[in-house]
Amino acid sequence: MKRYIRLYFHFLRFSFSKAMEFRLDFSFRIIMDIIYYTVNILFFKVIYLHTPMLAGWNENQMMIFVSGYLLVDAINMTIFSTNMWWLPYYINKGELDYYLIRPVSPLFFLSLKEFSANSFLNLMMAIGFFTYSLNQYTGPFDTLDIFLYVLFLLNGSMIYFCTQMLMILPVFWTHSARGFVDLFYSLGLAMERPDRIYKGWLRVLFTFILPFAVIASFPARFFLEPFDWKLFVHTAVVTVFIWSLMLFVWKKGLQNYSSASS
Amino acid sequence: MNWWRHVMAMEIRKILAYRSDFWIIFLGQTAVQLVIATALWKSIFETQGTIQMNGFTLPMMTLYYLIVPIGMRMLTGENIGFISREIYDGSFNRYLIYPLSVFQYKAVTYLTYSLFYGVQLILLFSIYQFTMIDVTPTLMTFVHLFEGVALFLISATTYVLMAMLIELLALWADNIWTLVVMLRFFTSFFGGGFIPLAFFPLWAREILVFTPFPYLVSLPVRTVMGQSSSIEITLGIVVLLCWSFFFMGCVTLMWNKGQKNYSGVGI
Repeated sequence: MKRYIRLYFHFLRFSFSKAMEFRLDFSFRIIMDIIYYTVNILFFKVIYLHTPMLAGWNENQMMIFVSGYLLVDAINMTIFSTNMWWLPYYINKGELDYYLIRPVSPLFFLSLKEFSANSFLNLMMAIGFFTYSLNQYTGPFDTLDIFLYVLFLLNGSMIYFCTQMLMILPVFWTHSARGFVDLFYSLGLAMERPDRIYKGWLRVLFTFILPFAVIASFPARFFLEPFDWKLFVHTAVVTVFIWSLMLFVWKKGLQNYSSASS
Repeated sequence: MNWWRHVMAMEIRKILAYRSDFWIIFLGQTAVQLVIATALWKSIFETQGTIQMNGFTLPMMTLYYLIVPIGMRMLTGENIGFISREIYDGSFNRYLIYPLSVFQYKAVTYLTYSLFYGVQLILLFSIYQFTMIDVTPTLMTFVHLFEGVALFLISATTYVLMAMLIELLALWADNIWTLVVMLRFFTSFFGGGFIPLAFFPLWAREILVFTPFPYLVSLPVRTVMGQSSSIEITLGIVVLLCWSFFFMGCVTLMWNKGQKNYSGVGI
């Protein structure tokens, strides 16, 4: 474990020095994420011009949810996104060999090697907006509520990572250039909407099969509403299941990996 | 010299090279965006207890979000980095010796994607006509569809010039893909891709008229839906052409300045 932590600090050092080589790109990425955050906030601001409530939440409560999913997005952009971007290419071009022969877990190496230093500043901004939303929130809450909310959001980040991996790993079989990553980005929209809007089969889809609604909407419900054991069990089951499924597909994928490029 | 036909054929072969990806992206992305948007607006309509909001009924909203994802793909094409990537790796050299304009070549490759997605839109609309027309009373006809697709192609031309302008920044700066993503955000949000512009405050709409964004997305979508008058369409085409000429001038200026910076060896 200690070895892995030490190795991760090496990744961080390399990533920061690499990011500073391209200073203009560094600034561009920060601006891009600011625009992404602004567009997301404006989206709900415009909607609340036409309705006082959405999925049982008022604007004040919705901003708690929005700040939550922006935080999940920022965490994933910072820690995983660059690695996820390159993974299909490594698999497709047969460059995975290089990672398989290293004396560390290939999944650890490939998921965490590239720390996105530019997005790290955006993570700070997302934390800032999260804090601001909590400050503006007029409902009752205490420190434990905030702690639990953050904990569930971190769990949401893990679910997000596993889902993204599950969309990339078919590359082992399809040999396509990008896998289903583009579809994943479209599906990511499901995370950015409150789960109560999903009814019937759509609810089953987004809370069990592709659990995007569990990522940020459930944590927001833990914060905004009285603790619900059913919701808690649901979150726990989904987390364990998707993590196990991702590991299973990863292992099967590696068995299928031919090392030849496509 | 029908070089553009060969280029188009080559691009179509590229699009269809990974068929499973192609169909999953086409059907998946369209369906995902449609169902999520419909669920959201259904919830809003139910909360408000109304059947119409800002000129939209729920079936019209559904139709709007069926057209938007394909329309956006017609507009934004597939390739972020369709010029900058080649500048960075030095392979842009080959265009300098081609006996044709690099920008014409790039525009044709780009618009092939747009045309291809236009065909998808026509295909989807045909399915829609046969399955849902009874529950969706709109003024939409095949004439409107073709008008809308044509308008999307014109707006794609304007968009590709805007994208080229950003891509050419690669002659000065490293990694400009983030700027193209920003352009996509702006186009999608201020063009009405996320929320129909009718829901924006009046002051915002009055400002947006002076930008190309409403003409890039909202106008073609409304045209497909049969909600734009002939005057609006004509005015839209004129505005888009004016913006296109403006961006074309900027691209030419930038290329003339920037090519002196191009080393040809890549980075």
